[in-house]
Amino acid sequence: MSDARPRLVYVCEGGDCSEKGSVELHNDLKEMLKTADPDGKLKLRKYPCFGGCEHGINLALFPDKVFLSKLKKEDLPRVCDFVCGKSPVPAGHTGIVAKDVEQIVWDLLDTGF
Amino acid sequence: MNAVDLEARIPNNVGLKDDKKLLRALEQWQPRFLDWWREMGPSDFREDQIYLRTAVGVGQGGWANFDYVKMPDYRWGIFLAEPEPEKKIHFGDKLGDPVWDAVPGEHRNVLRRIIVTQADTEPASVEQQRLLGHTAPSLYDLRNVFQVNVEEGRHLWAMVYLLHKYFGADGRDEAEELLRRRSGHADNPRILQAFNKPTPDWLSFFCFTSFTDRDGKYQLAALAESGFYPLARSTQFMLTEEAHHLSVGENGVGRVVERTAQLMKEGTDPRTVGAIPLDIIQKYVYEWSSASYDLFGGEDSSNAATYFGAGLKGRYREGDGLYRDPKALEQAYTTQVAEGTALRTLEIPLRRAMNALLLEAYYADCKRIVDRWNRTLKRYDVAAEVKLPSLRFNRQQGIHAGKWYDPEGNPIAQAEFEKRRTTWFPSAEDYATVKSCMKKVYEPGKIANWIAPPAQGINNNPFEWEYVKFH
Ligand code: FES
Ligand SMILES: [Fe+2]
Ligand SMILES: [Fe+2]
Repeated sequence: MSDARPRLVYVCEGGDCSEKGSVELHNDLKEMLKTADPDGKLKLRKYPCFGGCEHGINLALFPDKVFLSKLKKEDLPRVCDFVCGKSPVPAGHTGIVAKDVEQIVWDLLDTGF
Repeated sequence: MNAVDLEARIPNNVGLKDDKKLLRALEQWQPRFLDWWREMGPSDFREDQIYLRTAVGVGQGGWANFDYVKMPDYRWGIFLAEPEPEKKIHFGDKLGDPVWDAVPGEHRNVLRRIIVTQADTEPASVEQQRLLGHTAPSLYDLRNVFQVNVEEGRHLWAMVYLLHKYFGADGRDEAEELLRRRSGHADNPRILQAFNKPTPDWLSFFCFTSFTDRDGKYQLAALAESGFYPLARSTQFMLTEEAHHLSVGENGVGRVVERTAQLMKEGTDPRTVGAIPLDIIQKYVYEWSSASYDLFGGEDSSNAATYFGAGLKGRYREGDGLYRDPKALEQAYTTQVAEGTALRTLEIPLRRAMNALLLEAYYADCKRIVDRWNRTLKRYDVAAEVKLPSLRFNRQQGIHAGKWYDPEGNPIAQAEFEKRRTTWFPSAEDYATVKSCMKKVYEPGKIANWIAPPAQGINNNPFEWEYVKFH
């Protein structure tokens, strides 16, 4: 993975996560990033469903391969700082979904082409 | 960006009221669409109040409304995702050119074909599912199939808008044809084979939404990258609705698996209590997944290369910058194909392998849902697993067509395939078993014995909610 490639923040908008407010969370994060990431180094995207539905709201950071689960609106400031590289991974949100579920997400994003 | 006009006869955010000619044409098509809906949409239930989601626009502040609606009164609208300013084509030979807001003359026929093929699947699936309401396992499920149906109807609108606006008289003719073809009709069938297959029972429906609709998601995702910007923005919006269809399928099969697992754990044979044995579920999975693999087209395809080179159809998430070479000229795609009963390596120049790449992304996604079902089985201490067949299994299209493989993808002799056919695909008897389980349950909070209730209801309402109010 070359450094020229963007860092991507994927927020799940699948059925379960959107029921828990992921679309609003995505929109709020988009607003926050306007000031936190003024040069647009990060790309914020929606993702149809990661398969970790029972642990939503889920978010994936790529190519860093960090998978965050059980996010709520109140976690957003910490998430925003983290994806901008200003603070470490927020505690209590990683390693929650099964390893193979996470791996499939990375496999899909790591295209090899 | 045009404002959202929800009061118009055709709700839209494409500024229809300022394009009188287009508006007139679409208003003429509208009653014919409604005729088609009455004839080929869900049979009965016309007067009933269904708790449905209706798309009302894009961007901030939510994109959909939930309310009770009679299906024929559903507000089918035309919505495009918000445009990005100064958007450029991000792959293929036209890399870096501004996106097109009109159809480039040289791609007119190809684009029309792409749009018509996509469009045709939308009404087709409504036709396939039209009788399911009569055997719904719960009000929640009844509502879900209708939700899927009305949104497929809206997807048809989305595509018909493109045909009318950008393809002149040809486009209008195509829009008429879309209402004339019929799923499974001997003389005038739908374009793609999987959309002519009968969907006679709810397990078929859940397999359809798991595997066949998921093909739709990947096709839409590839078109969402298109240099023809109205198509890209249209399919981007459709994907938002599609996510729910896929979760209906994934959770649907998952709930059938869960019910079967519960019974197995108790030591009850599912057959004896009107539920579905695991081996039949497996056969349905083999049948529907392999039929859906074919929808991606040939793995080695000059058409696919043309579409990519011309900037019409990109790779999955191409715009996210996940690929090293946005022109896809440098690499080759490697796969394996049967030669006799051995496998040999086949190299396909990357551009020609675009269908194969999309199919692989799809396969990883299918793998994810099957793994999820298997976690359920494990939770109930059931040792057996549901298997997703290899991409080589039972193919009628592409490099594996006319070759014979077992579900693991090992090459086998044709005679062997025929011998084992009944162990892989549902027999008439299996269909009859499933059919015998299909009895309607219309009481709020109640559910048929062959399926577990969902983990949660719709729009924060509980499963027990009255999702359908009969008149
Ligand atoms: S709905 Fe978010 S991971 Fe599935
Ligand atoms: Fe659709
Ligand atoms: Fe769909």
